[in-house]
Parts: sequence; C-alpha cells; structure tokens
Amino acid sequence: MRGFAAACLLSLTGACWADASPEALDWLRRIHAATQKVSYTGVFVYQQGERSEASRIARIADSRGGIEKIQLMDGSPREIIRERDLVKCYLPEQRMVKIEKSGDARNFPALLPEQVAKLALYYDVTLGSTKRIAGHECQQVILSPKDELRYGYRLWADTQSGMLLKAQTVDRKGSAIEQFTFTQFSPGNVTRDQVRPSHAARNWRVADASARNTNLSEAGWTVDGALPGFSKLAEVTRRLRDSNAVSQIVYSDGLAAVSVFIEPLGARREALQAGLSSTGAISIYTREVANHRVTVVGETPVISVERIGETVRFRQPR
Amino acid sequence: MKAKVSALMDGEMDGREAADLIARLSKEEEGLEAWRTYHLIRAALHDDGRLSGSLTGRISARLESEPIVIAPVIAMPGGMSAGPARNRHSTIAWSVAASAAAVSLVAWLGVITPRANEVATEALASSKSDRPVPEAQVAAASPASPSIRPLSEEADDYLLAHQGYSPRSSLQGMAPYVRTVADQAVRTGGAR
Repeated sequence: MRGFAAACLLSLTGACWADASPEALDWLRRIHAATQKVSYTGVFVYQQGERSEASRIARIADSRGGIEKIQLMDGSPREIIRERDLVKCYLPEQRMVKIEKSGDARNFPALLPEQVAKLALYYDVTLGSTKRIAGHECQQVILSPKDELRYGYRLWADTQSGMLLKAQTVDRKGSAIEQFTFTQFSPGNVTRDQVRPSHAARNWRVADASARNTNLSEAGWTVDGALPGFSKLAEVTRRLRDSNAVSQIVYSDGLAAVSVFIEPLGARREALQAGLSSTGAISIYTREVANHRVTVVGETPVISVERIGETVRFRQPR
Repeated sequence: MKAKVSALMDGEMDGREAADLIARLSKEEEGLEAWRTYHLIRAALHDDGRLSGSLTGRISARLESEPIVIAPVIAMPGGMSAGPARNRHSTIAWSVAASAAAVSLVAWLGVITPRANEVATEALASSKSDRPVPEAQVAAASPASPSIRPLSEEADDYLLAHQGYSPRSSLQGMAPYVRTVADQAVRTGGAR
C-alpha cells in the first residue's frame, strides 16, 4: 500500500512527468514480462570497443524459469546455458565448465512496481522514436542517469512481443560504450534439442561456485556501499578460482549492480595489481585491505567502484 | 568568425580575404570549431539529415589517401572586395574547394560523432546474415586518466560471479553473459 501511495505521489509531482513518463515505465515492465513469456531463437551481436562477437541464442520460456542457451559464433565455441537458476559456461579452450547460480529473474525485485518508481529517482526514463531492428518494429526507451555514478541506457523493444532487441550502454558524452543488437529474431516454439549443450565436456575441469549466504560483519568486515540509490542485494561466501572462502556483497540501484569481492591473499602471494581497470561498460577497482584482496566490479563508471572500494574496512572481531 | 566561415563556404568572399581567413582558421580554435560545425551541417543536409556510415567510410579513406589540405584548390584572382559583380565560376569553385578541404579537415580533426558511430553500427547490425560481422564502431570508453588499465584475463571470473545478480537479466535475459567469456585469443592478441 505504501508503495502504491508513493507511486501515486510521484506521478502527481509535475517534475516526474518530465523525468519518467508512465508510458516509458510501462515499457520497462513490458520488456521484463517478455523475458518470462517469450520463447525464441535468434542471433545477436555484442560490441564493445573493438571487440565484436556474434552469438546464437535460444530460449524456452516456461513457468519454472525456463532454459536459455547462448553459443558464441566467433572465436572459440564457448557456450552458456541457463536452466532455471543454474548457469553453466562451457569453455572448450580451457576444457572447463564454470557453474554459477543465477538470480531467478522471476523473483528479481528490480522491476516490481515500487522498484520501477525508485528507478525514476536516479534515471530520467523517457520514450524515444520507433525503428526497425532485425525486421521488427521497435520502440526506444531512454534511461538517462541523474548523476555521474551511473551509465545511461538506450533500449529498443519489439512492439509486438516486448523483447529487447537492442541495448546500448552510454557514457556521459552520449557515446555507446557497449551494445547488444539482434540481427535475427524469431519468436515461437523452441525444442529441447535447441538448448542442449554441444560439448560433452568429458574430463573437463568443473568449477562450481557453491555460493551460500553469509554475514560479513561477523567476520569483522564493513563496507559502506551506500552510494545514492544503491542498496544491498546479496551477501554470500563462495568459491572463486583457487579459494573456497571468497566473500561477495552485491549492491544495485535497480538497473546497474556492483559486487565487492573479498578474498584472502594466499600463501603464494602474487603481486596485487591495485588500481582501476575498465573495458566497455565494466569498471573494476582493486586494493589490499588487511591481507585480503578487495575487488569491486561494477556496471558503472570508474568513480563508483573506486568510492565503494575505499569504504571497505576490517576490524578483528573480539 | 562564424559569419566569416559561413561567407567563405557560400562563396561570398574575395580572394585575398579568403586566403587570410584560411590562414587564420588553421591557427585559431574558434575558427576550426566553426569550420567543423558548418561542414558537418552541410554533410548532414546532403546525406538526408544523417551522417551515413558510407560518409564516415569515405572520410576515413580520404584521411588515409590525402595530405592535409586547408588552402583552396582554385585561387581567386587577387583584388579588393568585389561586391555583387562577381565571377560566378569562381564562386562555385570556392564551394567545391571548400567542400574538398572540409573532408580532409574534418578527418584531420578526428570528427567521428557518436551518431556516426551509432549509424555505422546499425548498418553493421541490421545485415540479416548470421555470418560473423566485421569490427564494430562502438566507441571504446575513454579512461579518465592513463592509469586506468583494460580488464585483465582474471576479470572473467569476477564478471561471471557478478553477472548472476545483475538486474540486466530482468531486461535482457542471458545476453550480457557473453561479457564473462572473453575469447582467450582476443585477450592475447592472437589470430581469431
């Protein structure tokens, strides 16, 4: 009820109409609904800087969370398959399968009505023009950040199905720094064969994340991840590369997410490359705190990962 | 300055004044800015209101094949400001020369606008073929300072661990996961 009242209040505020039109917010809900309801096959291209890779993608949407498969068509034939909330990455060059849990998008809070209204506090959400993409008429939705802590987005959704057929992440100058765009899109029934792994993966290494919920403050860690609009989504301990005991805290503003990883520096201590790195829409900040490596990974400009990283503190618990 | 650039482009300037202006343009930031702006507008009008991918390609090709030319190809006879009685052929020649110079100058100034990027990328992406597409025109995020490195190989492990929590999946499904499996050959700069 409170959420509803808040949404009403926001919609009555004159400024809100200009910032986030109800129609534009509705389109975001339609786009989300399509990820649950539309089965399809297609081809999309991922572009970031000079990197450009085409992938085949197929999805079976069902009431239990669905199955999705991505096959990279350029370079090594990597595959990513999600079944319900389990994701497996098949990496033939390394002869490895990486297993991760994926947040079940059905339960993903990001686009519940109250959350969509909250999004409008940090992004201007407006409708752009229509355009044909992969043979389908699409509506543009524009999300412009209200501060320098976030990137902007230009989204194009199929007017028939609501499927997102093109998405750009844009920086402060309006340049696209990352782009996903469909070149083929065919909604309709998809068979189980189309989402099966191509690699038998016999004798491949298996790296299973095995994430479990945790409470980092009990271990002496504090992270002040409270950038405006970002709230904590998850706090887990998991396996990452060589270590069983890597902590991960995730923050999100509803559209962009940031993970803070804390891992013990092992006995064989490699030199820690502290500082900032960034490619496309991803920024990473690394530093050392109390003999641990802190890595902040964000779908944000570098300033955000740096700010969060600087707040990580450790105090030995009594 | 802007009015003068406009007059030069429209062939309304006599030879000496034009030569002086062009000499100044090469030295003054305001002049270069005006030159760039007016020629982009002209190019946009001639290309039906958009900077097409083909124009971007032509500019790039010109850059590679031609030296920098700011002086006009055809010089007008020297003399005082002519007023209305003007050699019509020279006027046309100025516009042509201005356009030719503009292409080189625009390329030299490194003007590839975000829209040009976007349109060029669309041209790539809208091809129906499912064969691998050529390199993209999506701008690389320019780091604020040289101390920002590109992501390293181990970033993939963190990205994969992170991706499952990203709200992007509630808009796009699995597509963003391709970020987490960078081709090893691309990382090491090997042949693909």
